[in-house]
Amino acid sequence: MLKPYEMNSILITGPKNLQEKIIKELHKLKILHIVEHLKSELADIGQPLETTNKLSEIIVKVRSLITALGIKQEKNKFELKRGLLEINHTTKKLNEEVNKNFEELRKVEEQLSKNQNTNQELRILKNIGVPLENFTSYKSLAYFTGYLEGKNDITNLEKELSEITKNFMLFDSTLKKQTFMALFIDIKNKENTSNILQKIGFTPINFTNIGGLKGNAVANLEKIERQNTMLMDKSNKIKKQIEKLAQEYKGFLLTADDFLSQELEKAEAPLKFAATKDAFLIKGWVPTENLNNAISKLNKISKDKVFIHHEDAKKEDNVPVKLDNKGYAKPFEFFINLYSLPKYKEIDPTFFMFLTYPIFFGFMLGDFGYGIVSFALFYFLKKKIPKGAALFNVLLLSSAASIFFGFIYGEFFGLEEIGHFAIPHLISRSHGVTELMFISIAIGIIHVNWGLIVGFVNILKEHGLNHALFEKGSWFVLEIGILFLLLSYLNIIEIIPLIGWLFFIVSLIMLYKGEGIKGIIEIPSILTNTLSYLRLMAIGLSSVSIAVVVNDMAAGFFHKGGFMILSGILILLVGHALNIVLGLFGSFLHSLRLHYVEFFSKFFEGGAEKYSPFGAKE
Amino acid sequence: MAVELSVGLIAIGSGLAVGLSALAAGIAEKEIGAAAIGAIAEKDEMFGKGLIFTVIPETLVIFGLVVAILILGLAG
Repeated sequence: MLKPYEMNSILITGPKNLQEKIIKELHKLKILHIVEHLKSELADIGQPLETTNKLSEIIVKVRSLITALGIKQEKNKFELKRGLLEINHTTKKLNEEVNKNFEELRKVEEQLSKNQNTNQELRILKNIGVPLENFTSYKSLAYFTGYLEGKNDITNLEKELSEITKNFMLFDSTLKKQTFMALFIDIKNKENTSNILQKIGFTPINFTNIGGLKGNAVANLEKIERQNTMLMDKSNKIKKQIEKLAQEYKGFLLTADDFLSQELEKAEAPLKFAATKDAFLIKGWVPTENLNNAISKLNKISKDKVFIHHEDAKKEDNVPVKLDNKGYAKPFEFFINLYSLPKYKEIDPTFFMFLTYPIFFGFMLGDFGYGIVSFALFYFLKKKIPKGAALFNVLLLSSAASIFFGFIYGEFFGLEEIGHFAIPHLISRSHGVTELMFISIAIGIIHVNWGLIVGFVNILKEHGLNHALFEKGSWFVLEIGILFLLLSYLNIIEIIPLIGWLFFIVSLIMLYKGEGIKGIIEIPSILTNTLSYLRLMAIGLSSVSIAVVVNDMAAGFFHKGGFMILSGILILLVGHALNIVLGLFGSFLHSLRLHYVEFFSKFFEGGAEKYSPFGAKE
Repeated sequence: MAVELSVGLIAIGSGLAVGLSALAAGIAEKEIGAAAIGAIAEKDEMFGKGLIFTVIPETLVIFGLVVAILILGLAG
């Protein structure tokens, strides 16, 4: 409970020809945490198995297919019948088919986008009765196409042009409040015309996509529309085909990816081993409870041809840690993983967090109504997002604690009385602020000292009684000193202040001996750490205040009656929803912080590596 | 609703106690927070430590609140 799983270090060595067999067996056992060998003069690292290249080649293909077909990770029951051979064969076939479909789709879409452009140009030319083949290059003719700014420009233009020449044709149509015109004119007058056009504000348009089209624009438009419908049909058909492929091969691809990843893990395992020309050596850690089983299995599979040596963890070893918590305490490992894993010899604080975290959370949120809402919310989320189950279990427990504290405070959505019925309570948050303050500080003193005791035990186990006394015991002496000083100066009991000072000075000396100057500097921290627990009261108070304000505002609307009742209900809903979110965030973070900062800093070192056995999935 | 001047001053005083300490905490936290996010972006395992360092100045607000409550207590 308070300790991680016991680990044994293990050394496996044997001839190279047994390597693959051993790897397979270890992969199946899923208990060995391999310690990577670093290249040294004594031994190089091993070579990956021969199959590695082939495997990585196929896995790249499989994964690219998974992305291309847009397949999402999910549980499936597909079974590979012939392993790698089948994967290779099917992947190749599937790859060709998928590529063919995508190539076709690309072509169709290219054509569609080209048609789109042509379509736009044809729409502009629709109302001008000029056959499309006339928009080409001439020897004796020049033409201009584009928009004119004003409405009357077209008559002006005609007038000005007739002053230069008679040989021109002008077409115009109104498109979206703009005047579009096409002008064909003698090439000799091209320069002049261009100048005139520039003067009256002409925006030219070039038709680049209608080359090769003949006849009038309307007929061509219809033709393109027809073609587009066909292309859309085709594109949909191809997409459906791809979708069908995705559905059909989803199970296969996901299973293949899984299978290949595992095979690849096995194939690359020797990179972590030490190796000589003819032998390999695996170092690692195995939980003591699995040790005998593992050794006998390995011996059996190698017919006693490998040598296995094992010993208990030594003091200086960097042992991987697998936390050992059961039942309701288990989800709290989430917080430890988030922070840092405790060292192998350290006390695992998961169980302590299980005891205090929900209490702090409930103390702050503490409202019967809010507790029920958050319980329902997290229950729903837990069903929706199974991945976050650990976190939601923690929050469910915390919500339950909130409901419990709701009873103690006698609060229901910030109300202390419903109608004229006063909800019974042990302590009122909105009226008993001072009491809550003292309770918070008392909780702080208990929690901080709890942390110090754990720290004492940790150091006692690791460095012996002397260290523990000076490093952690000194804090207790300091606290006694402060207590005596307070008592005597506040005249609560009659003792001379000297006793308090004596304790104080002794603790200073012990601290200096235990932790050096750093310890002396940290003395005020014990005070601030304890006072920090005042947040238990403060967060709760702010939550209650907001709830009361919301209720009062809504009540005001309710008294006005009529339509105002609807506004009142809206204010209640929005206000309380907001306050619940705020309260949940606040309670979650501050409870976490009290553990991480105030509690853990008294004993926790952390930094251990996580136990991740070879072959086990993340 | 006539409020005595002294009550108003007490209210302002307690408001300042919370407000100013919250500002102070915010100023202190902004740089720690930025650095912590940087560290977490580099290395996910820094989350725990980053969070801790970031929230350390938060205690200031709590003290501010306590002082505010004490001031209000003075007013009776």
